[in-house]
Amino acid sequence: MEKNLEDLKIVAEQWLNQGTEFVQQIPPNQLYAAVGVLLFTILFFFSIRLFRRTKSNTVLLSGLSGSGKTVLFYRLRDGSSHQGSVTSMEPNEGTFVLHTENTQKTKPVHLVDVPGHSRLRSKLEEYLPRAAAIVFIVDALEFLPNCRAASEYLYDILTNASVVKNKIPVLLCCNKTDKITAHTKEFIRKQMEKEIEKLRVSRSAVSTADIANDFTLGIEGEVFSFSHCLNKVTVAEASGLTGQTEQVQEFIREYVKP
Amino acid sequence: MLEQLLIFTRGGLILWTCKELGKALKGSPIDTLIRSCLLEERSGEVSFNYEAYTLKWTFHNDLGLVFVAVYQRILHLLYVDDLLSMVKESFSEIYDPKRMSYDDFDETFRQLRMEAEARGMTNGNHKMEDDDSDKTNGKENTADNVVLDPSKLMKLRSKGVRGRGGVRKTDSIGNKSSKVAAAEPPKKATKKNRVWDDAAPKQVKLDFTDSVDENGNGNHDHVDIAAADQGESMMDKEEVFSSDDESEDDDDDELRSDEKKPEAKKKGWFSSVFQSITGKANLERTDLEPALKALKERLMTKNVAEEIAEKLCESVEASLEGKKLASFTRISSTVQGAMEDALIRILTPRRSIDIMRDVHAAKEQRRPYVVVFVGVNGVGKSTNLAKVAYWLQQHKVSVMMAACDTFRSGAVEQLRTHARRLQIPIFEKGYEKDPAVVAKEAIQEATRNGSDVVLVDTAGRMQDNEPLMRALSKLINLNKPDLVLFVGEALVGNDAVDQLSKFNQKLSDLSNSGTTRLIDGILLTKFDTIDDKVGAALSMVYISGAPVMFVGCGQSYTDLKKLNVKAIVKTLLK
Repeated sequence: MEKNLEDLKIVAEQWLNQGTEFVQQIPPNQLYAAVGVLLFTILFFFSIRLFRRTKSNTVLLSGLSGSGKTVLFYRLRDGSSHQGSVTSMEPNEGTFVLHTENTQKTKPVHLVDVPGHSRLRSKLEEYLPRAAAIVFIVDALEFLPNCRAASEYLYDILTNASVVKNKIPVLLCCNKTDKITAHTKEFIRKQMEKEIEKLRVSRSAVSTADIANDFTLGIEGEVFSFSHCLNKVTVAEASGLTGQTEQVQEFIREYVKP
Repeated sequence: MLEQLLIFTRGGLILWTCKELGKALKGSPIDTLIRSCLLEERSGEVSFNYEAYTLKWTFHNDLGLVFVAVYQRILHLLYVDDLLSMVKESFSEIYDPKRMSYDDFDETFRQLRMEAEARGMTNGNHKMEDDDSDKTNGKENTADNVVLDPSKLMKLRSKGVRGRGGVRKTDSIGNKSSKVAAAEPPKKATKKNRVWDDAAPKQVKLDFTDSVDENGNGNHDHVDIAAADQGESMMDKEEVFSSDDESEDDDDDELRSDEKKPEAKKKGWFSSVFQSITGKANLERTDLEPALKALKERLMTKNVAEEIAEKLCESVEASLEGKKLASFTRISSTVQGAMEDALIRILTPRRSIDIMRDVHAAKEQRRPYVVVFVGVNGVGKSTNLAKVAYWLQQHKVSVMMAACDTFRSGAVEQLRTHARRLQIPIFEKGYEKDPAVVAKEAIQEATRNGSDVVLVDTAGRMQDNEPLMRALSKLINLNKPDLVLFVGEALVGNDAVDQLSKFNQKLSDLSNSGTTRLIDGILLTKFDTIDDKVGAALSMVYISGAPVMFVGCGQSYTDLKKLNVKAIVKTLLK
């Protein structure tokens, strides 16, 4: 092996010598031109990348585990929930034109379905900086037992630094409304506002400088309402199973212009 | 009988289920499997039990597929492992990320299943036959020659089995290849690069800088009252971890760790460089082994229990096997990244550890929030109870202590001293009383005088002490505390596993009511004494699934902190 290495070294040196000779033969004008072209292309690609980043088309689907994110993701992509889904272990990602839209004319959306399991929440923070909009999905059927956990999650999202700074709009999407016993979106909104108000009190009154949440929500001295948020928070209804996703699509298209 | 067989992506989309079996499963075994096993870094285990079912699984890491088989627990189906690997093999050939329905796989599966079942049957039968024939042989032998050679017998038997196995194998290969020809050509899945950095959650930091003047309300002319005001609890201060003190540059860390890790250097320098540039085809078990072994040893030097280190490495291995190595990476760094991700996932609390929030919620319901401190002897239950009390008191929560250590002499007096120094009411009923009853009375008393939190101190007990564990179980079942806090010292090594699993086991075994209460959280004490051997935190969290809620790191009332997950992970992998 040692010998191999030595041989290789010799070969490499020979190549290096040949290379330098070759470069010296080229007239300097050509060399400058070549370097110039190279720099220009690099700059060009760099600027394209920068340009792209300013117009993000990323939409995040978030929410608790079992609220129906994966079904909604495939509903938006393929118009079908296929054969159902199980708890996600990794994010589902895809750049595509929404199912109901014309393929040619519209700009594709980069949709990310972030798993809701609390161990995988940290994945969300990777995506938040480049998100154009967030869809927060709530299970309207099993709402009350999950209300507190969902509110905590939403509170964490709403107080996240990049969400506040970039004023990322959030859609509170009440899923599974095809079922009769599902709660209405008004009820859900009120309950979550109440819950967040409690969270705000417990987190801000006790902790004046809690670093985990850099920003406080709402207006001081007033009962919290989603309208107090700097970013726009809207409420919608959907049903991933039966395919009523018009309001979600409208929301996505509002922020990712076709 | 097989109940169900599912194929789904790691993203959670079900690609194929066996419609033939098509029985509705009771409950949601698959979701439970994913939540409580696969996401807890327990995928290295063999099977998972859910109610009446047993589940087995296998991964195809390169394509990101998961195969799960469900069957009744009472049936010991031997062929399931075979079937899963066969299904994995043939399904990965027809898998295409763009395709969503695989109805044509039904037929293939039927054949595979029949094959596997037949194989399972013959395996079982043959064994019996072998035994029988050997016995008869033996008899004949003994009849002819008097001495029987056991080694010969063994050889004979193994030969027979091997011969049969070989024939079967070739058979099955023939079948399979004909089937494969019918299936469409395989298509490579596009693989995304995983982003490891910054995957960790932001470190939680609490800074409840309410300067509480304790002297103001302490009008008593007692001397040690003044001593009680020792500034704010470290729970509220900037987190500077003893383990994080020597926070070196990442590059430096990596360099060092790379030096430490012996890589498999069988293939020579040039080919390994070439491989690292182009990216290796697929990671195999043999490639991962040296890196994992080094990692396991490193974890063990950090005081992680051996069992836990072993399981973690298995899980990481299961998640990497068959995966493509990205270009410009080495196996060691890939393994390290995967382990880091796994560690962060384990240590990140599954449920919210915002005690303040829970205390306020309980306050709204006009009942006290009850915390029970349990643990083995001498780990610092009473001391840390006092620290927690001090921290709560600083946040204007009215606290009451309950001295339920009616076992050890002097325990009540010790707690009384703490209570006097912190100006906290204490509920005590002396010794020789049933701790469960004392706790009950304490909670009633707290409800009466409007205390927000009751901190229940219990006697230290070894995990094997049956009568004391029974008493603890009774205390917990009778009083239904909001939080059962296990106090464990960070010095503990392999015993951590034993302590926590036995405590949990006893609590669930000895509970008479339907709902069993297990340990909800961990308080890690003596954290200041261990330097970089922070492994106990990992062992305890892994074995119990409960988060570390507090960390005790000193002698004074202020020395209580939150766990810094990032710092711990960094220290563990250093």
